[in-house]
Amino acid sequence: MAKPDSLGQFEQLVLTAILTLREDAYGVTIHAKVQELARPKAVSLGAVYVTLDRLEDKGLVASWMSDPTPERGGRAKRCYRLEALGERALQESAITAKRIWDVIAEVWGKEWAREWGKRWGKEAG
Amino acid sequence: MNSGPSKTAEAIVAVFVPPACREEVLGDLHERYSSSGQYGLDAVRTIPLVIISRIRRTADPQVLLMQAFAWYASFLGAAWLKDRTFLSEPWGLLRLAIPAGMATLGLILEDAYAKPGRRSPLKLARGPVLGLGLALASQGMFRISNPDLALPTWITFYGCALSLLLLSAVWMLFPPATDQLQGSNVPADWLKQSSGSLGNAGTSTRAIKGVAAIVAVVIFGTWMANRAALPKARIVTLLLVLLIAYQVWKRG
Repeated sequence: MAKPDSLGQFEQLVLTAILTLREDAYGVTIHAKVQELARPKAVSLGAVYVTLDRLEDKGLVASWMSDPTPERGGRAKRCYRLEALGERALQESAITAKRIWDVIAEVWGKEWAREWGKRWGKEAG
Repeated sequence: MNSGPSKTAEAIVAVFVPPACREEVLGDLHERYSSSGQYGLDAVRTIPLVIISRIRRTADPQVLLMQAFAWYASFLGAAWLKDRTFLSEPWGLLRLAIPAGMATLGLILEDAYAKPGRRSPLKLARGPVLGLGLALASQGMFRISNPDLALPTWITFYGCALSLLLLSAVWMLFPPATDQLQGSNVPADWLKQSSGSLGNAGTSTRAIKGVAAIVAVVIFGTWMANRAALPKARIVTLLLVLLIAYQVWKRG
């Protein structure tokens, strides 16, 4: 089985956005989701296109054209979905992130981890 | 509620977006439209990255290097034929690289803006012609603004004529990645890997074959010229034209 390349942070964000959006993953929605995940950093639509192309070239996502819609001036969308290789790459990234988190929490103490957990909870809420 | 950008604004933006991704990019920009200013700003921020991404997908570094070398060799050959003293002038060799660089840029852009799918040999010739156009335009600009950087007229014209022949041969031996597309959604990278003509091993084999064909033409032409006491340049040119004609016939 092919081993996926390790992902950059922005690639992780784009793959996560596609995973979340499922059938509705295309340029505008992916950009909005990535913007939400990357806040407070601003993300340009062009950067999302570049990353989508790169992920497609790596075989992590696949794309297809949808039917044209009136709200887009009668133009079609390019929709994206995660490929098996992309899912595995994302899983590996998540596991690595979890390991990093565990080590940091161990070094800086449980109090710190709880404090950050609360902050994240507030952000998510 | 805003209906969408004006037809004129969309037409202007459409000119700059490569055709392979025009549909989705214009659609996305249309969907995000809230005002003319926002649309323009969005387009200005997005399009350069779209073009860069398209170039990354369509440009094959190995072939591009070969094409750049062919451009430079053509202008170098023209200088050697017409005025050898130019080569020993300060910055002479570097000045030859300017039209070669501009012409290579023309090829890159032509490839990025080509519609996906197989192109006819005549459409394929647009790349070298656009490259030459840019090379000539750069020389024209230098003549007006900084004549020290411009090449002498005859070197420019001989270089252009030589490069048109060499580049057409290289361009047809190594068709652009977009030509391999069977469907617009297929990434060029996959095609490079799957296609024998542009895969890593395939490119090396074709590069060796291509260089061997050009070297064979030059050696055979020189031998013919020596036997027939004809100018070498004419014979070599004739054989290069025949090689290109054969490629056009094979592809057509």
